[in-house]
Amino acid sequence: MATKKIERVIAPAGVHFVGDGFRVHNIIPGSQGLSMQRMSPFIMMDYNSPFYFAPREVPRGVGVHPHRGFETVTIAYKGKVEHHDSSGGGGVIEEGDVQWMTAASGVLHKEFHEKEWSRKGGEFQMVQLWVNLPAKDKMSKPKYQAIQNRAINKVMLPEHEGVVEVIAGEYQGTKGSASTFTPMHLLNVILKNNGKADFHFPAHFNTAILVLEGNISIDGTNVPVNNFALFENVGENFSIHASADSIILVLSGEPINEPIAAHGPFVMNTKQELIEAFQDFNEGKFGYLED
Amino acid sequence: MNKITFSTFLTSNTDLDETMIAELMRHCRTLFFKKGDFLLRQGDTCHASFFVEKGLVRQYGIDNEGKEHILQFAPEGWIVTDRDSLYNKTPAAYFIQAIEDTSIFLIEEELVSKLTKSHSNFTTFNDTLLHNHIRQLTKRIYQLLSASAEDRYLSFIKTYPDILLRVPQTMVASYLGITPESLSRVRKSLSGKNFKK
Repeated sequence: MATKKIERVIAPAGVHFVGDGFRVHNIIPGSQGLSMQRMSPFIMMDYNSPFYFAPREVPRGVGVHPHRGFETVTIAYKGKVEHHDSSGGGGVIEEGDVQWMTAASGVLHKEFHEKEWSRKGGEFQMVQLWVNLPAKDKMSKPKYQAIQNRAINKVMLPEHEGVVEVIAGEYQGTKGSASTFTPMHLLNVILKNNGKADFHFPAHFNTAILVLEGNISIDGTNVPVNNFALFENVGENFSIHASADSIILVLSGEPINEPIAAHGPFVMNTKQELIEAFQDFNEGKFGYLED
Repeated sequence: MNKITFSTFLTSNTDLDETMIAELMRHCRTLFFKKGDFLLRQGDTCHASFFVEKGLVRQYGIDNEGKEHILQFAPEGWIVTDRDSLYNKTPAAYFIQAIEDTSIFLIEEELVSKLTKSHSNFTTFNDTLLHNHIRQLTKRIYQLLSASAEDRYLSFIKTYPDILLRVPQTMVASYLGITPESLSRVRKSLSGKNFKK
């Protein structure tokens, strides 16, 4: 088994606001060389690095918008997000929770800072990923997996070096809490200073990490806080060494080798399917949700 | 929307020959406008037509009570101008404003007059654009006089398939000549008919 090496470390680039509640660095597909195909099935990653939002009565956020053809995965590190959708669902994503929403054939939703949290204000840190769906599942029924932190399966590392939260996939025999349509692993790794965790993924899986807190190194390469590291598609094994108390998001997935036709909030396989998505949205086939 | 260059627009929509297209390209230029910038202000004289290569603009007026009314959206591949001001050299009655960062291919009226005098196929092209414009305007006036809010909305999404996702609802309502509340009712009722849980 060969070592998997880092191809590139990507520092967070320019920021933009999604609505007025999410101040994000777009890492996938905005960074050079990180196209949707390169990181498939992870076709989009917005990272809201720690940012202080002042208290406000009317919560900040992003109003009603549609999605079709993929899943959105929201991981809340700091702050709380309230969401509502066109099928009548809704809830609050608290710190440490994960919301895995399968938009599939289409949902309308809105996401805002949770009311009470907004009133107090505070530091906000969040990751939103878009996970592509294979063609055969793009028009399946939408669903939610609201995964509270206490329900996420965890693997304790030896000698109290840390803990691995298995959001999806598997780590050392422990299965992930979320179900996925294609093979992938999504792990939240919490390491103490001098802690170490070992990983093993198939060579062809697209693999990367994002450092949310602390400072780490992989095979001698330093990856500072808020940086993203992309791995080569060669080799299977790597270890993360923490040189401070650290939190790292690890993602690795089998690429979905199908054409991608993406525009705005729709990710389909063909241009015709994109046109249909716009039509269906305009005609109310995604349902209705009050702003 | 993807970028549509004016030369691509010409080759796919007209039978202008390559030399004619090359001449147009040589004499025209592309300008960039930030979201919120004006291409034309009410009261100014308009000297050009604006072809949208990338982005989105709106043409609108403001009534005596300060309320905005949108006459037209122009996304990628559309041409917008103030024809009265352009032809009669009168002060423009309406504003033309970028509502996204926009790249505009500027077609100076002076060049258009020159070309229509010397090239008959350019005159035909220019006439076709004018007749299309009149047809669209007539249709729009008739619709504002006769059609229900729902029919206006259905016609709007046919004309502009992706605008609903690009502008605030208030702008769509303004274009349709209905209140934002009425637009919400139309969309809610359509979804009641079309949404299968």
